[in-house]
Amino acid sequence: MPERKQNLPQLYRFCFLMLGDSRKAQEVFHATLREAAVRAARGELPSERFWLFRDARWRCLEATKSDLQPEPVPMDERDVAPKAESQIQRLDPMQLAIWISAAPDPQRSALALFYLDEFDYREILDIAELKLSELSRFLAKGRRQLQAWLDSKFSQSSKV
Amino acid sequence: MKLLSLMRRHRSLLNCAPISARALADRPMRSAISRADGSAEFADQQNFDRAVASVVRLISIPAESAEWFSEKDMVPVSKRTWKSTLRNPAVLAISFAVVVIAGVFIFNFVSHLNDFPGSATARKLLGVAASTRPVMLDPVSAEAGTLSDLFFMKHGLEHYDVPEQFADFGTIGCRVFEDDESRRIAQIWVSEKRMQFFLFPAERDTKTGTVLGFPGWRYVHQEGWTGAVMEHSGVCFMAAVRGGDNDLQPYLSRPKE
Repeated sequence: MPERKQNLPQLYRFCFLMLGDSRKAQEVFHATLREAAVRAARGELPSERFWLFRDARWRCLEATKSDLQPEPVPMDERDVAPKAESQIQRLDPMQLAIWISAAPDPQRSALALFYLDEFDYREILDIAELKLSELSRFLAKGRRQLQAWLDSKFSQSSKV
Repeated sequence: MKLLSLMRRHRSLLNCAPISARALADRPMRSAISRADGSAEFADQQNFDRAVASVVRLISIPAESAEWFSEKDMVPVSKRTWKSTLRNPAVLAISFAVVVIAGVFIFNFVSHLNDFPGSATARKLLGVAASTRPVMLDPVSAEAGTLSDLFFMKHGLEHYDVPEQFADFGTIGCRVFEDDESRRIAQIWVSEKRMQFFLFPAERDTKTGTVLGFPGWRYVHQEGWTGAVMEHSGVCFMAAVRGGDNDLQPYLSRPKE
């Protein structure tokens, strides 16, 4: 299979989803590409697939290490509902990014990589260093938690 | 138990089902999706995922970051240089095989470059010369040139004549034998440099039966022996000596007496 071109806009979106902050996302994105440019100049670019995403992922995790961490509170979960589609359409990308970036890693990485709609599940397992059962659990749990959040968010706004 | 784990795996795969159909190259995933097709739960999941992915696609790229997109591709484009191509094990193996095959061809070509009709027989007879011991021959003490009468009278061999350059050499012994193709070969051992002479029928065209002649002397080599061969009246004469061309050259250029 030919090497797929590493999609730079998607790389930025990945950083944004991982960090929930445009400024931080840009910093990580620029740092990753600078590193790539330096390596390219030295002729030391890694030949492994998706190394930019892998590198950016670790930079995002590093960048949030010093941030305030959310307390490990059990989040509500709800079954995915048919109405979810219309609820999600009302979401702002920033709101979604903040919600995903608040998830603990590796669930955060799994959700960010999955919803980029850029990789198949095997590639996500490779980049996020997960097993299929783990990725499956994180995604299923993520959907249910997002549904619960959407329900609470839009029920509140409808009450208002 | 196996069924349970299979169902669990299908469930896991369904949870990771691709959002767009383009990523459906994986067979187990295709199988899991085809089983779940039509289920309301899976349809809700797919709609949910598609909606989230469409929000993700709305994430705008800041202008400073977008500048990078026009830069060169960050994926290393592996340009194959001549050196890296030559270092490829497959290329190396093929090159080696080609060199060996070419070497064999060149060797065969060079070794047959000086071939002439009867050269194969001459080489075989050089082998015979190397293994012949004096006791194997009938002792005859005469001039080599006189033996053609003996060959004709005793064995009925016509034109088995020793060329003039070698005719006055004193003989130690001689014999007539048949080779593996039933051709009658005359062998003479002379005292001069322990040289051996062979007389054998020249090669003939298989269709017309005409003698395949060749002009002058031709050299053949085998196992440290050298033979100088000439054809005359349908019979080849070979003077064989242990050594090289230089050992025979003086005799061949001797003026005919």
